[in-house]
Amino acid sequence: MLRYRYLFEQMVRRELRQKYKGSALGVLWYLINPLVLMGAYALVFSVLLRVADIPDYPLFLLVGLIVWVFFAQALLAAAPSLVQNAALVRKVRFPREAIPASVATVQMVTFLVMLAVATPVALAVRGTLEPELLLLVPVVALLFCFVLGLSLAVSVLHAHYRDVEPVLAAALLPWFFVTPIFLRVEELPGVADRDWLANLLQWANPIAPFVDAVRQVLYAGTAPGLGHLAYIAVAGVLALGGGILLFRRMGRDLAVML
Amino acid sequence: MSAGLAPGEIVLDKATRTFRIRRDRSRTLKELVVRRGFGATHASVQALREVSLRIAPGEAVGMVGRNGAGKSSTLACLAGIVPLDSGRAQCGGRVITLLELGAGFGPDFSGRENIFLNGALHGFGREQIEQRMDEIVAFSELGEFIDLPVKTYSSGMFLRLGFSIAAHLEADVMLIDEILAVGDESFQRKCFTRIAQRMEAGATLVLVSHDPGAIERVCRRVVVLDGGQVAFDGEVTEGLLHYHRLLGTEGGASRSSRPTGSGSALEVTELELLDADGRPRSAYRPGEALAVRMRLRARSEVVRAVAALEVRSELGELCFRTDTVIGTVEGEIEVSFEVPRLALLEGSYDVAVGAHTQDPPPGGLLDRLTRLVVSAAEGGEGIADLRGSWTVAGRRSHEEALR
Repeated sequence: MLRYRYLFEQMVRRELRQKYKGSALGVLWYLINPLVLMGAYALVFSVLLRVADIPDYPLFLLVGLIVWVFFAQALLAAAPSLVQNAALVRKVRFPREAIPASVATVQMVTFLVMLAVATPVALAVRGTLEPELLLLVPVVALLFCFVLGLSLAVSVLHAHYRDVEPVLAAALLPWFFVTPIFLRVEELPGVADRDWLANLLQWANPIAPFVDAVRQVLYAGTAPGLGHLAYIAVAGVLALGGGILLFRRMGRDLAVML
Repeated sequence: MSAGLAPGEIVLDKATRTFRIRRDRSRTLKELVVRRGFGATHASVQALREVSLRIAPGEAVGMVGRNGAGKSSTLACLAGIVPLDSGRAQCGGRVITLLELGAGFGPDFSGRENIFLNGALHGFGREQIEQRMDEIVAFSELGEFIDLPVKTYSSGMFLRLGFSIAAHLEADVMLIDEILAVGDESFQRKCFTRIAQRMEAGATLVLVSHDPGAIERVCRRVVVLDGGQVAFDGEVTEGLLHYHRLLGTEGGASRSSRPTGSGSALEVTELELLDADGRPRSAYRPGEALAVRMRLRARSEVVRAVAALEVRSELGELCFRTDTVIGTVEGEIEVSFEVPRLALLEGSYDVAVGAHTQDPPPGGLLDRLTRLVVSAAEGGEGIADLRGSWTVAGRRSHEEALR
């Protein structure tokens, strides 16, 4: 496996190149996208609907959005990745995991760039620097494990059943709306006196605790609770382990079926 | 992967692989749900049936067979791309596959960057690739194109780059499928020279090809596959003859596997091509006279014997076939087929002959094979010279037409 570390590096470079080819702004587009979303949602929820009574609301939105955009883009790009690289899979022997993993890693790189932009902004807005910020490292690492595991799973599933990608694309929009990105779960007017609904929204959706954890560290400067951290640790490890197992199991005959 | 095998050693042990054929290459969830209910049945094809082979380090083995005989499947299994259902397929040491040129090239990458990517795909690290970089670039003859994106390349440039990479990375085993047939003559020669060098350095080669010429050039051993099984394994000229016989029995899989001289009543002991002066020669110009001379031997008296002759192109297409009753044969007899003016045009051809009693043994029509090379000539292209002449209405001669 170590032998292929260099391959992985090369595949990531190839993905990056293909992603930004022929666009003048290149990687900037991936920063502009969440910024535009941030502006639009801030306008709607804070100015027009006035449901969001949160200080520095655009920053609050931005932190949630970059986590979501990373998650959604990585899965959408990973799902068709094996099929798109069918020629390679049929003709060369190498660890097939490298394909979806490199796609997810490219999204991770974009995410890290956005994080690098958002972090100083958050610190400047808050005006303080707490040691809790260090928690960002394990939280982001676990988020990457989580996304990588799911990317492996959706890519190999899509190779078997070609409607995985459209199903995923259709599911991501409602998923986005039930993920606490606009407001924290407890601040949603509809769940005020319904604890079960709050718990459901907070814990049944595995990406929600990741969004919340990154936001707590970056936006609020506070540490997530131990239970919360334990949840994302388990989610990250389970997703990655499950993704690898599924890929091994279903990926055996990829060269024949693609 | 290479447990117990010396670098360059290849072992196939009862390798078996079946492919299921689906109507549609992709499945959908709906199909899955619907099919479950009816108990899906798939047609299946046995690509490999208990194939066992052992190839020693440094050997060059050609693999031939008709379409669908299992050549490419064998290579894919050896390369570890396609897993076996049962049995074992292993290569010792580092393996480089050339199943498709330019597989995995990033179109937006320059030639140089693709050398790194391709090397990495085969498990090589940056330093190993950098060491070889200059040789690869020089061999590919790409010049300054090496730093342009490969999407701007012609197919010939693609081929040269792909081969250069594969031929310069230090692999113990090279698995090559068909691709040597492309490219111009001078580059092909360079490829063969390079392959020979790699083999002198101890690398093992398995070459799949439809082109007996290419196989003869590099390989001393030939494996003929038919119907997913090894139909022949041995010396190259005999192997190519066997392959030729297979081509002669379209549809009748492996029926013609009669080994030469295994007690048939009548056999061809000698086969020669003779020029107008009666000297043996294998290269001719179109229009020359030649004779196909064969010596037959009958073990006992054979009445109503038949001699047959067949000419095929390098790709195995039948160009000409004839046979004749030669009457009673006792002991040895010489039979010739005289060609006053050779009507074949430039190319390499297989001339196969055989002899049998009037009820031919199934498939085993042809006994001996020789190679006929025809050089280039003016006046036409293709495989056959139709010996026609042009006329233009109202003009008496070609010279007049030119005036």
